[in-house]
Amino acid sequence: MIIATLLVMVATVYILFDYQRGNREDLARAQGLELVRLLGGMSWPELVPQTGTKGLLAVLQQGQSNPDFAYGAVVDIGGAVATEVTRSGVIVPPGDIVNEPTSWLGQRVLPANDADSRVEFIESYAPVFDAGVHKGFVRLGYLRPGFGISYSEMPFLASVMLPIFLLVPFFYFMLRREIKPLKEISERFENLAEQGGLTQIEMPPSQALNDFMEQVSGYIDATQTKLEVLNQEHEDLTMSSKLLTYKNNRVDAILQNFPDAILVIDEAGEVSYANTKIERLLGVEVNTIIGKKTREWCDDPQIIPLLTFGDVKSNLQANQDTVQTRLDDNSEKSLQFSVYPLFMPNNESKILGRLVVIRDVSESHLMRQRQTEFISHISHELKTPLNVLSMYSESLLTEGSDNEEYRIEAVNVIHDEVERLSTLINNLLAINQYELGGVVAQRKHVRMHEFLEDAFTNISKGKQECCEFELDIPREMSMVYIDKDLFRIAVNNLLTNAIKYSKPGGKISMSASETEDSIEIAVSDEGYGIAENDQKQIFNKFFRSTDDNIRQQTGHGLGLSLARQIVQMHHGDLTCSSELGKGSRFVIRLEKISTQIMDAVAS
Amino acid sequence: MKKIFIADDEPHVLRVLKLSLEKEGYAVETCANGKEALNRLEQEHPDILITDIQMPLMTGEELCKHINAHMPERKFLIFVLTSRTEIEHREWSRDIENLKFLEKPVSIRNLLDKIEGYFAQATDSSKVS
Repeated sequence: MIIATLLVMVATVYILFDYQRGNREDLARAQGLELVRLLGGMSWPELVPQTGTKGLLAVLQQGQSNPDFAYGAVVDIGGAVATEVTRSGVIVPPGDIVNEPTSWLGQRVLPANDADSRVEFIESYAPVFDAGVHKGFVRLGYLRPGFGISYSEMPFLASVMLPIFLLVPFFYFMLRREIKPLKEISERFENLAEQGGLTQIEMPPSQALNDFMEQVSGYIDATQTKLEVLNQEHEDLTMSSKLLTYKNNRVDAILQNFPDAILVIDEAGEVSYANTKIERLLGVEVNTIIGKKTREWCDDPQIIPLLTFGDVKSNLQANQDTVQTRLDDNSEKSLQFSVYPLFMPNNESKILGRLVVIRDVSESHLMRQRQTEFISHISHELKTPLNVLSMYSESLLTEGSDNEEYRIEAVNVIHDEVERLSTLINNLLAINQYELGGVVAQRKHVRMHEFLEDAFTNISKGKQECCEFELDIPREMSMVYIDKDLFRIAVNNLLTNAIKYSKPGGKISMSASETEDSIEIAVSDEGYGIAENDQKQIFNKFFRSTDDNIRQQTGHGLGLSLARQIVQMHHGDLTCSSELGKGSRFVIRLEKISTQIMDAVAS
Repeated sequence: MKKIFIADDEPHVLRVLKLSLEKEGYAVETCANGKEALNRLEQEHPDILITDIQMPLMTGEELCKHINAHMPERKFLIFVLTSRTEIEHREWSRDIENLKFLEKPVSIRNLLDKIEGYFAQATDSSKVS
């Protein structure tokens, strides 16, 4: 502010001086030219007086009112001064004038003789004649006004400066007063920008600005109100959108976590929704099928017709279909497609599309398949001995009466077949009971050596011509605490399997060994062996290998499953190691500690 | 003498059937699996084939299908011994002519009657023609 005031003052002074200087220079030029013309009109003798007298120039100097007058001189054609008058301290500067009639009259600026001085003269000159003959020139010089403050000008300056000095603060305060509401508005705008509350502006007494201010203030109030409404609306919107997002997320989470794959196919036959389960079941990614028709993303000829609905109106019934499909990773799946029409909520006749639920029924399908196979095997296994029984008994009635040898043979066969039937039925009952959780091991102390030898002899009896049998069980073994009947089923199943899948003449051996904390019973054969893939599954119920050599043998996929369950009931472990073409080895491992603990619990 | 060929993996069944049929005056040949039966059928030229279904190497079902496909000139009757009664387990035999099912347990008397009836009918029709 102070700087501004000073600047204004300096500027004012400068303008004043410049104006004054310009005036003085113009005056010097006009006066000089006028006087020189006057003097030039006079004759040489009038201007150049006799020695000892002062000429017209002296009169001129005396009568000169212009304070800037510097000198006056009359020179001859050669430039030599004939006479001169000067202001004190001024020397007439040399200055030849070209002696041509065209340049006899003129005005010029000449520097002072003294090189250091910045003084310049404005010189006017004119020719002087004596009786019609050009005799010389008259030169009149004025000081060229410069910047300089003389003391005489001080009162004038002070009178100029004082009002300025007084007016500037006055204007400043006036301005401030005028600006104040604007500043407040600016602050309010800032507050508005920062979402803070707006304060009321104090209105200065009525002015033109006031009207404007009132309008602005009103506008700000209106804006503020509107802003609040908008804020409220925004909050409401955010809340409702959050709620909606939450609801959507929840519904989506439910659909995504649904155990089955879900597809929604709209009226146009395009997928409008799919959950991620579809990726596992159909091997397609969700975002690659949305908005596409079935044919564009599915190439399974069995599935396409299930997901293509043609005319919307037709087939409004929910229906179900199961297909076998092979996935990219070559695993086979049974997929159950349930299709439900989606009706408009308030208009049952308008259909929006179809909801397809795809369920992986491979497990149950496989189970059912195995069960069917199982029943097939069981009925064969049951009916084969029954058939033999029936035939022999019938033939006994007709033939046997007179043939003693045949009668004995028939009775033996009948006895064997009854045994076979009863073993099978026991197996079936045991597995059934076990699955119902009804089997409780009736544990007793059993001598391992006798138990195993007995089981082995029973099984190998009569099979000597097909296989070579080898038994290696130490005579002294700890007593074990097991359910003899159940354990017998397990051991029998291992042994019959070994015989069944043995090559002719192959060796079948059973051995037992005892360490400090466990007893191991091993049954080995030199048969067909089990493929690596099958080894993982052989203990699964109803599992039957697809190997040709194995399939030739009748079986029902129960023996090993049952054996393992029985061993596990005794807190033991049944494992298998096998090499295709070389044979298999099954090992039952029983923890002695567990049997001892059981012993303690039992007693 | 009428020739009967039996395929069954159960030796006891073979033994009883062979005894009973021979006693009735038929020539009987036996084998223990489908594959052997197939190999021998060409030479044996039986009048009747009795086969079990579940047999090693080649099942009775495979045997019958094979015969139907590769022996168009076949004249002999096939008896299939089966444990299953359900119709869907006989579906495979729909296109095979001259094939009868016998359900286990098989009554020998019943079987003999059927064989006798078949031969009697065959003789009749050949007489007529």
